[in-house]
This record gives sequence, C-alpha cells and structure tokens, in this order.
Amino acid sequence: MAGELESCKPLSGLLSGLAQDAFYGHPGITEELLRSQLYPDVPIEEFRPFQAKMRGILKSIASADMDFNQLEAFLTAQTKKQGGITSDQAAVISKFWKSHKTKIRESLMNQSRWDSGLRGLSWRVDGKSQSRHSAEIHTPVAIMELEIGKSGQKQVGVAWAKIRVPFDHTLARQESEFLCLEFDEIKVNQVLKKLSEVEESISTLMQPV
Amino acid sequence: MLVSGFRSRTVVRKELEWFPCVPPSSVKMLIDFQWKLGMAVSSDSCRSLKYPYVAVMLKVADHSGQVKNKSFEMTIPQFQNFYRQFKEIAAIIETV
Repeated sequence: MAGELESCKPLSGLLSGLAQDAFYGHPGITEELLRSQLYPDVPIEEFRPFQAKMRGILKSIASADMDFNQLEAFLTAQTKKQGGITSDQAAVISKFWKSHKTKIRESLMNQSRWDSGLRGLSWRVDGKSQSRHSAEIHTPVAIMELEIGKSGQKQVGVAWAKIRVPFDHTLARQESEFLCLEFDEIKVNQVLKKLSEVEESISTLMQPV
Repeated sequence: MLVSGFRSRTVVRKELEWFPCVPPSSVKMLIDFQWKLGMAVSSDSCRSLKYPYVAVMLKVADHSGQVKNKSFEMTIPQFQNFYRQFKEIAAIIETV
C-alpha cells in the first residue's frame, strides 16, 4: 500500500483536490472522495495521514508565497525528514505550485478582502442639448455606473480539478449594488486630480527600496 | 432623438449592452471622493500576503438630498483601469 502512496500519478490529482478545498472552498471535496477516486486500493487509515501531510506542505508553500528558490529548499528539506516525501513527490509538488501559484495566490488575496470590490464599470457622456427657448440648457455630463459587491471569500468551479465533484451553486457571488453617478466636467477633473494622486502614491510605494 | 423641441445627443456609450435610459431618480451626485492606498501584509490564511490595494470612500447624494457613504476596494490593476477610464471620460467631455 505504501507503494501506491508513493506513486506520483494520482498525486497531482490529490494536490488539485486539496487546493479546491483549502483555497477555493469547494464544499464537495471530502477525504473519502479523494481516496476513492485517486487511491481506491489504499485503506482510509493509511490515506488519512498521507493526505494530511500533502495538505500541510501545500498550505505552507502557499502561506509563505514561496518563490522557486524557497520552494526548492523547502521541498529538499521535506525529502530529508523522517516520514517526509520522496524526491519524485517533491518534483510533482514543485510542478503543481509553479502551474497554480498565481491562481492560488489570487484566491488567498480574495479571501482577505472583506470590503466590497469594484466588479464592473460602465459610462457614457451625454452631449449638449438645445431648446427653442434657450441656446444651451445642459452642459455635458458623464454618467457612470459602478458595480460594487463582495467577491465572496471562496470561489468555486475551477476547471482544472482532476476529480469529479458535485458543483455547488450556492457559493456563487453575492448580488452586486449598482451605483449610478453623474459628473459634470468640473467634477470629472476634480476626481481625475485625486486619481493622479493615488497613482503617484502607488509609484512611490512600488519603487525599489 | 427629438422630444418636444429638445434635442440631445449621446456622444459616446461605453459597454454596448448597457441600458441607455437611466431613471433620473437613480442617478446620484458625487459630493466627495476619498482614497487610501493600503498594503495587506499578512492574514490568517496567508502569512505572506504583501498585496497593495486602493480603498475608496464616495460621499454621494441622491435627488432628495440624502447623503450616503459608499466604499469599495480595488486591486492595483483595477485601479489603473478605473483611472484610464476616467481619463477617457475627461478627454471626451472636454470636446463635447
């Protein structure tokens, strides 16, 4: 049975399933589901500590947002530990993290965003109007619609999972609020000035120390 | 569109599927725009977050004069898109 756990073929699928549960909050990923689909010949009492070890490794890597040097050092240390991982398993984990790091990090960032986010933005500019009584009764205005809503702390339905799980629609994003604002030219320029201040602050922040 | 001697012209509509006729009662006026540039350093789910974000607080008034605060966050790429769109609006409104 230990030989089956050391096999690298299902490990990639296991990591996908663990990521679905740990980072994407998919509700259907149970220990038994993972075992039955990926390691059907391994008894649950052997599978349980194995998947816990892989889950712990994946969470450590994600929590530290390891770059590839850190990842290599970390995985090498894991191969030297008593009850650690094999070098083949380390290679599978490394490949997995390299492919999915960006998506997992994005999910972790979303989980830490508790205020509403800007989901969408639409706008139009209405031009001058005239009437038979006055030359110009409207100045140009911009009308902007902001879609604001909580992204939800968990996402679902990432297509790259290699196991079949029931899709739960109840974790779909919460409803948005639509905020419709009108701006005249003066107001547009006032906001633009503020946005340029933000941009300047971002540039200062991003400058290498 | 000619209605009772009035003539108005919509210059640019962005997002072709956007509903073109917004009821006046739903349109609000922006009174104040406050911003904050933050950096999320760490969280319980990720010890090394290190992601910057822009938090915005809008003070808006509806047609009855009632004032409300609306806040939201943007990632840096979202902010840059927001800024770019505003620059587009400014360029167009200047020529109208």
